[in-house]
Amino acid sequence: MEHSHSKYISNFNSWAEQKRFVDFTDKDVEFLKKLHPFAIEYADTFVEKLYEHLMTFPDTKRFLGDEKMLMRLKLAQKSYFIDLTSGEYGEEYFKSRIKVGIVHQRIGLPPRIYMSTYCYYMQLIIPHIYGNPAFDAETSNGIFSALYKIINLDQELAISAYVHATDEVISRQTEEILEMSTPVIQIWEGVVAAPIIGMLDNGRTQQFMERLLEKIVETNSPVALIDITGVPQIDTATAQHLIDTINAVKLLGSQVIITGVRPVIAQTLVHLGIDLSGIVTRPTMASGLKVALDKLSIKFIDPSKA
Amino acid sequence: MANEFGENPIQTEGDIVTCRKLIRNASVAAGFGMTDVTRIVTAVSELARNVYVHSGSHGVMRWQTLYKPGQIGIQLEFEDYGVGIPDIDQAIEAGFTTAGSMGMGLSGVKRLMDDMTIKSETSVGTIVTIEKWGRAK
Repeated sequence: MEHSHSKYISNFNSWAEQKRFVDFTDKDVEFLKKLHPFAIEYADTFVEKLYEHLMTFPDTKRFLGDEKMLMRLKLAQKSYFIDLTSGEYGEEYFKSRIKVGIVHQRIGLPPRIYMSTYCYYMQLIIPHIYGNPAFDAETSNGIFSALYKIINLDQELAISAYVHATDEVISRQTEEILEMSTPVIQIWEGVVAAPIIGMLDNGRTQQFMERLLEKIVETNSPVALIDITGVPQIDTATAQHLIDTINAVKLLGSQVIITGVRPVIAQTLVHLGIDLSGIVTRPTMASGLKVALDKLSIKFIDPSKA
Repeated sequence: MANEFGENPIQTEGDIVTCRKLIRNASVAAGFGMTDVTRIVTAVSELARNVYVHSGSHGVMRWQTLYKPGQIGIQLEFEDYGVGIPDIDQAIEAGFTTAGSMGMGLSGVKRLMDDMTIKSETSVGTIVTIEKWGRAK
């Protein structure tokens, strides 16, 4: 996760653009600073009220943990609220907001809770903006607008980080599935088998080819069975990937037998005009294995006839 | 029977997977047998990849199911905003390629489907329309 973190930090420049996007200017910074003393004064009350509110929801309560954890969360929340009006919106601030998104994603806290927390905070602070004798109407409007902008910027950062962290999980899982979906196993002394499930695309072929070639060398196998029973259809790109793999295996001095060629696949290959005449193919893995064992001159003796 | 239709963008390699899945489901729902479904989906895979490779990632697949008395059909349109095909007859010839691939795609699709028409304008883009018909169950 540190990795995704650093990715965002390098993106600090684009945050400056985001500030321009919502028209967050020095004027807004000044307005927020005016609110700061009140934000500090009421921070404890706000946090208490917020958590009182959150605790009334059983679903939310379970994210808040035990007494000790709750104390820590409240402290973090307090400084989070205080930072909001501090007037310092540089890299430190940027990093802290990104971190919130990543941490929330990691503990599985849904973005809706994060968003509603802000909404609740707004409700608590608005009376201190508009009912405050220290501010005239124009100042109150300025403060309100500035607060709205900084909250919008905050939310954008946290949600982007949240989404990004989720994306990372998905791409990691995709890679894991990919690796699991193309196993290469030794099924006999001198024979490796690779059942392919699903379509072969560019990324997968590369990975599959590497693993197959490595296994062939590692096990010193003269024959490799590639089983395509689990391939729903073969288009010319997939066929090309298969042929490339077969040629690479040939270079190692081994031979490929394609097994699991279903009738419907055979028909489509003919229609597509793909020439597999130089390749040994068999309808089933079992018949392919028999060819492989014959090639290795392995004979089975029926004990009943011996 | 209801006329089903839809469309899907072709901008990433993942979109090719989505196209295949969409059309597999649509053809099965329309009542095609497994052999025809595989032919149709293979053609989709072929044409969607063409759009992806040649269009600079701007393309779309549109499809609709068709019905005639006693027959079911599916029509698909692949549109890209790529360089276009200068010589369509040559492009359909087996073995012709500009992408370093097998060059069997378009000629193969023609054989897999019942009908294929190509409209192309240089620097504007290409629309490939294909149709497959089967007997209604």
